[in-house]
Amino acid sequence: MRMKDVTDPRFTRLSAVVSAALIFLSTLFIGTSFASSPVTTHDLTLPGASGVQLDSTIFIPSVTPAPAILLAHGFGGDKSSVAAQARELAQAGYVVLTWTARGFGKSTGEISMDSPSGEVADASKLIDYLAHQKEVIVQSSRDPLVGVAGSSYGGALALLAAGYDKRVDAIAANITWNNLERVLFPQNVIGSTATGPYKKFWAGTFFSIATLPNSLAGECGTFTKEWCNAFKSAVATGASTASQSKLLNASSPSSIAEKITAPTLLMQGESDSLFPLSESTATADAIRVAHPKTPLAMIWHGGGHDGGLDETKRLNQATLDWFNTYLKKQAVSIPAFQVTNTNGSISLIDSSVIPKFLQADRFPNQSGSRQIPITTPFTALVAPIGGIPAAISSLPGVGSAATALSIAGGSAAFLPGQSGFLESDPLTTPVSIVGASKVSVKISSSVKDATLFFSLVVRTPSGQTKLPNGIVAPVHVTGLSGAGSIFTISLPSVVVDASIGDKLAVAISTTDQGYTLPQDGRLYSVSIASPLTIPLLDFKSSASKSAQFVWPVSTVVVILLAALFAYIRRARHSGKPQVESNALVSVTNLSKVYKDGYQAVTDLSFEVERGQVLGLLGPNGAGKTTTLRMMMGLIFPTEGEIAIEGKPIYPGSPTLANLGSFVEGSGFLPHLSGRENLELYWKSIGREEDPYIEEAIAITDLGSALDKKVRSYSQGMRQRLAIAQAMLGMPDLLVLDEPTNGLDPQQIKAMRGVLKDYAKTGRTVIVSSHLLAEVEQTCSHVVLMHRGKLIAFGPMKKILKRKGKVAANLEEIFIELVGDELTIGLNDTLQKKTNSLLNQIIQKGKGN
Amino acid sequence: MYNARKTLPYRIEMYRQLKRKRTLFAYVFVMSLPIIVALAVKFGTSGNSTGPTRFGSGTADLIGLATKGALNFTSTMFYFATPFLLVAVISIFNGDTVASEANWSTLRYLLASPVPRSRLLFQKLKVSLTLSAFAIVILVGTSWVVGEIAFGNAPLLTPLGVTMAPHMAIPRLLIVAGYLAINLLSVAGLAFYLSVATDVPLGAVGGAIGIMILSNILDAITGLGTLRNWLPTHYSFSWFDAFSATIDWTQMIRGASYAVMLFGILISLAVLRFGKKDVTS
Repeated sequence: MRMKDVTDPRFTRLSAVVSAALIFLSTLFIGTSFASSPVTTHDLTLPGASGVQLDSTIFIPSVTPAPAILLAHGFGGDKSSVAAQARELAQAGYVVLTWTARGFGKSTGEISMDSPSGEVADASKLIDYLAHQKEVIVQSSRDPLVGVAGSSYGGALALLAAGYDKRVDAIAANITWNNLERVLFPQNVIGSTATGPYKKFWAGTFFSIATLPNSLAGECGTFTKEWCNAFKSAVATGASTASQSKLLNASSPSSIAEKITAPTLLMQGESDSLFPLSESTATADAIRVAHPKTPLAMIWHGGGHDGGLDETKRLNQATLDWFNTYLKKQAVSIPAFQVTNTNGSISLIDSSVIPKFLQADRFPNQSGSRQIPITTPFTALVAPIGGIPAAISSLPGVGSAATALSIAGGSAAFLPGQSGFLESDPLTTPVSIVGASKVSVKISSSVKDATLFFSLVVRTPSGQTKLPNGIVAPVHVTGLSGAGSIFTISLPSVVVDASIGDKLAVAISTTDQGYTLPQDGRLYSVSIASPLTIPLLDFKSSASKSAQFVWPVSTVVVILLAALFAYIRRARHSGKPQVESNALVSVTNLSKVYKDGYQAVTDLSFEVERGQVLGLLGPNGAGKTTTLRMMMGLIFPTEGEIAIEGKPIYPGSPTLANLGSFVEGSGFLPHLSGRENLELYWKSIGREEDPYIEEAIAITDLGSALDKKVRSYSQGMRQRLAIAQAMLGMPDLLVLDEPTNGLDPQQIKAMRGVLKDYAKTGRTVIVSSHLLAEVEQTCSHVVLMHRGKLIAFGPMKKILKRKGKVAANLEEIFIELVGDELTIGLNDTLQKKTNSLLNQIIQKGKGN
Repeated sequence: MYNARKTLPYRIEMYRQLKRKRTLFAYVFVMSLPIIVALAVKFGTSGNSTGPTRFGSGTADLIGLATKGALNFTSTMFYFATPFLLVAVISIFNGDTVASEANWSTLRYLLASPVPRSRLLFQKLKVSLTLSAFAIVILVGTSWVVGEIAFGNAPLLTPLGVTMAPHMAIPRLLIVAGYLAINLLSVAGLAFYLSVATDVPLGAVGGAIGIMILSNILDAITGLGTLRNWLPTHYSFSWFDAFSATIDWTQMIRGASYAVMLFGILISLAVLRFGKKDVTS
């Protein structure tokens, strides 16, 4: 047996298919779970600039030589913070070098905030190292194919490295600064060169991150002396000095942005009060103006230093796409500007934010603008002595105090008396703002200067105020005239939607906990001097327009295919030949085998002429009902066919309109009356002639019960109603299955008369019965059936005169023909009655 | 003269269905939801209790906002009715329609009269879809009226923090109702197919409801990942996108397309199956 199995050709074929499938599945499995290729890592200590030792790790992909990526970590981290991303990039086929920046972790040296002679010089040394590695593709001597990527502290390093070292071939910088002085002393008066209020909260947080773990080294930790002093002076004065300014500028990409020619991907977080969105815009502008042909893309995502939406996975993919495009020259389509709208939707399952991704082919500041009139003329504000209490717009590293989604309750961002709103009228069209808005205001102060915090907010008709991501634009102006002076303010870059009925408002606050505030009490008034200018940019949903059509188009295609399939596979009836016969009904070689294999009818043939009353006779299970159902087009013959007036019968064939039927009990809507049932049936069958409804009603003999619900009818009443329904419209052929079941003797007698009269009009009646005596009295012709086969067929008289002798009744003939096969004792009257009773019970069961 | 195009006219079939108690009960069932919820909030204790997702708590979710006027009440009723109530009612209308005729034995007399088989299905489908659409209309209408009486008029607040004045909110609610009507076509198609496949009305109705509940359960299993995108109920709440300031149609287009696709396939299968079926009921 085993031998046979192996040599069996089916077996060989099966095993081939199975092994092919297994091989396919295993490749899939290896492909996904062991993610492409193994990555080897080596820990090294590499020389940085000025003798600094950098604790590094190099990740080598399986296929070398490959392009290299320097992956820098964020402030306070070390090389292990970026190990996961490094491994991902290495698996995608890059040599990745990570290192701990000087002054952190195991690296030596002091923190100099990405200064050109410090961290940036280190990066150049690392590029030197890569140039000598055989695993790295080298373009010319000492010039490897290399990209630089990083977030925050590392992002600024990427930008600065690209500005100082021409060997950098592509960069990806996330949530980083353009100008450190503007970040720490933000000033949002357009055209002003003065610094704004000191961002003490964030600066303090930053400083402590680096100093606390190294507190043994003194109050400055591992910061350089210069940076430590600069911090101390800023805290003391709340202002920037000339030497600080020089220091901050040297560490700012703004100082060298015009030198960047490497393809640059800028990513910035919407939830970032430290390095707001405007920092990325400033970098992008500088690069674009200096070298318009430098490939440049910008992503505003939902994250940032305040937390927000975690989009790490998407941003890592974008970084990889960027390097694939510019280091590996793979064609990946990257939109110029992508924005995450965190206000898109909310999951109904866990209330989490479902972001929407938008894209545009231009940057926000390249776009058009729209003017929205501000109708509140002015607002008066108080600045408290000592700057306390102060508004809380955001909590560094935690998130905005007033999230875009908060509806209930007052906002800590706007304290009464210390804040005011210059509002527009309710909007008449929805507005989506992406980028920075502008407005001109006249500021007057009880002293000569003013420190104010501007923001763009949305106020809803129900009185809620939405401050997008808690971002404010600080303003510090001096030399105010007594009547006040006009300034144009750049409001925070935000991503926010306002709907119809909402008001846009310029919110002004005199305090903010995150900043150094004037210590004297003041009174300010701010009045509006221009309409609000908001950016207008055409966005598409990140899914391209064509993708929107994919679903509807595929739906149409699928439906057409389904309809076509149904059309092709449908039961076909046309094209069947006419049957050559003068008979009204001709049954030819009819057979029916049910799905369960039961052969109900076998090779049945007979004909029915007009004016005949034909009795279809046989015991239960003889195939009478099956034959009649085939005649009604309800079930499909397995072989042979039935034709009426020479036309073959199939479901819905028009010939059936001339056939009235009653098969296997009545069928009525139980919730309607007998009369309604008859009327509705007539209206449902698509015939226009006279229904002879009164004649039909007379046959039912229902009287007043006709208007009662069919539900309440007895078996006999339903039976009569059903026969009346079959006679509606006086069809040429009337087919009745066991019509006398459940009728009392008088009604049976009346029914005989009805059927005979019906035939006298030239119409034809086919009656089936298992009661042979019954048929004898009604029918002119007889078809005798037994176990699906025809036993005898002919005029009643002829059948009775069989074999030369006149039989007393059909039963004798039947027994003679069937012989011992017949199981029912037909002569036994008692048996007959039991049988009839049984049948009634069955019918009743079906009727209900 | 027999004319196949005049068999089982729409208004006759509609009359046959409207005369049924089942139809009336289904509509009463739909109407009872907003009425019971409104009574519960008005006279129950939950209206004054604190904590999130309580009626009238004013929290930023659909339930908390329910008592802030008729518009909010209506949107909350959509939220309540989407996963089960409308599925049940639409399953009843579409699952019962053919199977009950088979059950009453009226099917064979209609077919033998003869109503062509595909015509019978399409006429019945037209009527059951009309009844289904009307159930959604009744839900919106009752919710609105009940909300207006119980909670008065107020702008629509959405959990996304968008406030919409009535002239803007009403079209949005209509979009939601329209989307629901299209999305529920998948339920209608499934129930109708089952109605053709079985002679037991309860089997067809229960089967359709059961499959939809199963689909909802599977949809909640995050481990199934993107496979869930192919569940018929996956997009049933996509109408939620209509409540943001600028509507992102992506999910609704997908959901509507997928529902129409399923509907088309299931109806084709139903027609095919019915056309070849031996009617033995």
